[in-house]
Amino acid sequence: MSGGTSEYSIAADGSFTAPLELSYPYKRTVGPILSRFLTGLRDQRIEGTKGSDGRVHVPPAEFDPITGDHLTEWVDVASTGTIVTWSWQPAPVEGNTLQHPFAWALISLDGADTNLLHAVDAGSADAIKTGMRVTARWAAEPSGSITDIVCFDLTSGSPA
Amino acid sequence: MAERCAVIGVGQTQHTSCRADVSIAGLVREAVDRALESAQLTMADIDAIVIGKAPDMLEGVMMPELWLVDALAAAGKPVFRVHTAGSVGGSTAIVAAQHVMSGVHKRVLTVGFEKQSDGNAMWALSVPMPFGMPVHAGAGGYFSPIIRSYIKRSGAPSHIGCMVAVKDRTNACRNPYAHLHEPDWTLEKAMASPMLWDPVRMVETCPSSDGAMALVLASEDVADAHDGPKAWVHATAMRSEPTAFAGRNQVSPRASEDCANDLWRKAGITSPIDEIDAVEMYVPFAWFEPMWLESLGFAPKDHGWRFVEDGVTEMTGRLPVNCSGGVLSTNPIGASGMLRFGEAAMQVMGIAGDHQVDSVRKAFGHAYGGGSQFFAMWVVGKDKP
Repeated sequence: MSGGTSEYSIAADGSFTAPLELSYPYKRTVGPILSRFLTGLRDQRIEGTKGSDGRVHVPPAEFDPITGDHLTEWVDVASTGTIVTWSWQPAPVEGNTLQHPFAWALISLDGADTNLLHAVDAGSADAIKTGMRVTARWAAEPSGSITDIVCFDLTSGSPA
Repeated sequence: MAERCAVIGVGQTQHTSCRADVSIAGLVREAVDRALESAQLTMADIDAIVIGKAPDMLEGVMMPELWLVDALAAAGKPVFRVHTAGSVGGSTAIVAAQHVMSGVHKRVLTVGFEKQSDGNAMWALSVPMPFGMPVHAGAGGYFSPIIRSYIKRSGAPSHIGCMVAVKDRTNACRNPYAHLHEPDWTLEKAMASPMLWDPVRMVETCPSSDGAMALVLASEDVADAHDGPKAWVHATAMRSEPTAFAGRNQVSPRASEDCANDLWRKAGITSPIDEIDAVEMYVPFAWFEPMWLESLGFAPKDHGWRFVEDGVTEMTGRLPVNCSGGVLSTNPIGASGMLRFGEAAMQVMGIAGDHQVDSVRKAFGHAYGGGSQFFAMWVVGKDKP
């Protein structure tokens, strides 16, 4: 934990100002449902949970969004899907899985009823359109993280 | 006159230093499922949900109520978030009770939680601010001078804090949900416990816990129809005061005394020591037991420590205090106040198991927070108010 500083400034009117930067270590415990999902990604398998209305949630929901019930039925979904909508990222930042311009997209995976947010390596904003088909590109060294999918690649040139 | 309200369901998690087996949602839900089961209700029966936790900075999850909606089965229902620092579990239960007492809702679910292992509460609460004195002392550093002030004023002998600690840690061994199960404490061993924040020893300090506590509160018609134990809410009270002002008495804050007086008046109680059968009091540092006994009107000024020394607050004493083991044995901060309120209800309902006190007709639940500046209290009873 860090915080506080002695680097202050005094304005012309005599008022004092100082920067305050907080940095603080946290942990995350994701529980059994997301742990299973992440384990699947490590093995290049994408799983979702089936809700009370039959719809499949990917990433999996721990509790049913309608009834609140514990969700325990697992469904394998494909690593291919369709672009539902997207936004161009012209200047990737540290931590993005792609370090050249790419699209952020909501992807409807085949077999899933919710959309997954991920990167699409489309080359340029002119090359991507809603409705295009994509397929997951897997990381060479998986770690049990959403970034085990590096990004999605376009698999067809025209909207489905 | 407000509508009558009763606790008909109580549920808590297993508390421990790290519940790595569950997400925050799963932790909250564990308590909720147990509370609903004891109320013989399902999620679909609940009209409204009131959730409380301590500062978001503790886990670094901003506004967790937003993404707990599905875990709370709150789709299509009102959700309210309460926040009053360490007293939040108590004030959350009171807000939930007010949902019923106002006549607006019939079945209200309330839950308090903290997953302390996802962060570090002591330092999250002690951010060094520019231009301020960098003390780096945490909560114990804040309260230790206040405790010294009490010791000096009351003339209490130095072993009183350790007596409270040994009592609460021993009581916790009767509570299967408690975080600490340490049966081997003796006064001699406690007195040898390392000094953490002079004059507060390590054994006189609460642990860091993961846990949640949930209650189901019901209107009179629902509670009457409920075929199970119940605890009627006789009175609730909340008070606040600034952290610092001239003449502030931090040993017995004005807000604490006013809150207690208001509570006793509303509950029709004239002699708390005679009329309350079990107490669940917020004691994160052992010395706060005698301090609160005095501030709340259970003991005369400067006599709280004599109650401790004479065993009055033991499980077998005249005024059993923290039979559950209290905050000193279990401290998921956002749940700790609701644990006090819920454990008080459990004593009235007769469902406290091995830490049940015989023939409890009225019990007192208490929480405080911030720099001894937020107070929440209730009295629950076997009979209708």
